[in-house]
Amino acid sequence: MKAETLGTSFETDLLALMPRLRRFAVGLAGNPADGDDLCQMTIERALTNRSKWTEGTRLDSWTYRIMRNIWIDEGRKATRSRETFVAEEAGAGVGGDGAQESAVELSNVDRAMQKLPEDQREAVLLVMVEGYAYKEAAEIVGCPVGTLNSRLVRGRDALMGMLGEAQ
Amino acid sequence: MSITREEIAAFADGQLPPEREAEVAAAVASDPTLAEEVAKHRALKAMLQGHFAPIAEEPVPENLAALLRPEPQSEVVDFAAAREKREQKRKLPSWGWVAGPALAASLAIAIFLPRGNETTDSYADAQLASVLEQTLVAEQLASADTRILLSFQNDDAEFCRAFSAADGGGIACRDDNGWKFEALGEGSETAGTEYRMAGAGDADILAIAQELAEGPALDAEAERAAREAGWR
Repeated sequence: MKAETLGTSFETDLLALMPRLRRFAVGLAGNPADGDDLCQMTIERALTNRSKWTEGTRLDSWTYRIMRNIWIDEGRKATRSRETFVAEEAGAGVGGDGAQESAVELSNVDRAMQKLPEDQREAVLLVMVEGYAYKEAAEIVGCPVGTLNSRLVRGRDALMGMLGEAQ
Repeated sequence: MSITREEIAAFADGQLPPEREAEVAAAVASDPTLAEEVAKHRALKAMLQGHFAPIAEEPVPENLAALLRPEPQSEVVDFAAAREKREQKRKLPSWGWVAGPALAASLAIAIFLPRGNETTDSYADAQLASVLEQTLVAEQLASADTRILLSFQNDDAEFCRAFSAADGGGIACRDDNGWKFEALGEGSETAGTEYRMAGAGDADILAIAQELAEGPALDAEAERAAREAGWR
């Protein structure tokens, strides 16, 4: 009886986290389709490993860590191959201007994010978008706080360089 | 007092230890260059948050939500949920290996199923009905013009048979009036065009059968018993 109640709340809690997890996934993967694939793999692994989650600890950090590990393990190759493709497309599109400026500006954020090395991208997303404290983000990534801090600063500097003066 | 770039960023994020935060705050207050750095960090943060916020405001896609919903409310009508439920349980019916690759393609086709629209029901003609009545999967000739792919029961406990024919295949379920088509492939001459499935092959038909089925396909023995009982 007790296990059953817990089981239901595990899935319900995970479902409640999904909007945030999707945001993180799309940020990591660079586009909604790959982001949702990443979400699906994360849910499946979380359900498989639910016995490893310690009740009373934070489910969000635990699930973010799963997602981040899957992305590092499996998503990287796919992301790399797509980056090559996107770079060619972007090159072909050079010369567009004027009315498209605001749309271009939006996708510039995506493009800039995708140019960041993985360790900087995840640090930027966890702290600046997901709002985790440095210590929490470092635990999700599995690195010392100082390391996370310096990755974050490098990521920020790179983004500011690519996006110009942040508006 | 020397302040590192890391400390400026951490200050902008409110992540410095309290004692250090006070020192940096004082330095920022008296140094316009530092203040500008802090403002840039905060502006970048606001920009990123604004950029990604819409994703978290979208409804969670049904195929993801279904993975976490213990009991989907509807059994068959919601094809996506039914599919996810099955995948989650890792208990695909025995023909899952055939239908699996076609599942994604079948979802677009499935909306053309003539379910719940009584005015457009159509039934197998005498020749096809005869095949549906008589042929057992285990006994049919591989060269037969119309082959039965498999038999199953739908959620109304009607017996249904998925068939493949030279001019297109489909699925028909036995009701009070005869063999009612639940799906028809392109090339079939017997149905209203609105329910044609463009380019539906056997795999597509099996995928739809998988969605319609309540339980696994009939085995040879169950199929024979169903024929003895007149498929009712």
